[in-house]
Amino acid sequence: MALADASHFDRLVDFLKQKRDNVTFHDIISLAEVSAQSLQSFFQSLDAKLYRELREIAQYIETMRHEIGALQVNDLKNSRIPQAGEELGAIVQATEAATHTIMECAEAVMAADARDPAAYKALVDEKMLVIFEACSFQDITGQRIAKVVETLQHIEERVSRFANVVQAKDLDGFLTETERVRAERKEKLLLHGPQLAGDGVDQSKVDEMFA
Amino acid sequence: MAIDMSMPVLVVDDYNTMIRIIRNLLKQLGFEDVDDASDGSAALAKLREKRYGLVISDWNMEPMTGYELLKEVRQDPGLSKTPFIMVTAESKTENVIAAKKAGVNNYIVKPFNAQTLKTKIEAVFAES
Repeated sequence: MALADASHFDRLVDFLKQKRDNVTFHDIISLAEVSAQSLQSFFQSLDAKLYRELREIAQYIETMRHEIGALQVNDLKNSRIPQAGEELGAIVQATEAATHTIMECAEAVMAADARDPAAYKALVDEKMLVIFEACSFQDITGQRIAKVVETLQHIEERVSRFANVVQAKDLDGFLTETERVRAERKEKLLLHGPQLAGDGVDQSKVDEMFA
Repeated sequence: MAIDMSMPVLVVDDYNTMIRIIRNLLKQLGFEDVDDASDGSAALAKLREKRYGLVISDWNMEPMTGYELLKEVRQDPGLSKTPFIMVTAESKTENVIAAKKAGVNNYIVKPFNAQTLKTKIEAVFAES
């Protein structure tokens, strides 16, 4: 981009060569006009470049707004995630109730008097049926888990799309204070939780370490 | 050494169902005096009130983990010799090593069966 039109500066030089003494106010105004004209082309090109860059920024902001809307964070925050939490709570309750029922049956059978075989068998048959009924929790909890998985997949799709469109970059090691404290506790006290098959040691390996 | 089946046993777990399972298994083995606590700090309080012959503890509990409880027990001159078995879902090698280093007598990985619990209890008292 040319800083100015060179011919305008030629006029400026010619003017200065002509006039050395008796410079008038009119001369100064003329000089200012020449300077302004010479820079006009510069400002025109600067305006065009600035305009293009500002327009790109505006378009990026508009895209970001659209993608934030597409993320539907309010739907996730107010509806889908709380519902998934409730489903998980219901799963815990159902498994606890079923376990309680099954254990009660087992305890009743263990405590029963076996000296009367007919009565004992009747009790055992009755309790076994109750156990079978209690085991039906697995069907419902399976369906609830499927709903939670669907929610997680929905969140993953939305977040992936957003991250791709805005070309998100992670801040290395960013943690809220609560997350930092929790992470430190987990590391210090070796809190890994249950491992997936193949990731932890089994009892035979543990027994070797204590042999 | 023969196991004294009348000795009090303390089961430590934040999950009531697991306490019930272990209590039932211990009953089947012949242990009648079984108490429970829901985390390490509650267990420590009970251990300082009553003499227990065996502690069976989970690892991951709040506010005090079973790992922290183990270290507290081993540091307390009045409790340091108490047999301690960890029963936990923590199955990484570093957990087993850390527990062994902290003085655990044996380590059971969840899920477990009655035979495993019986074998480990017998092994602990055989060492004694």
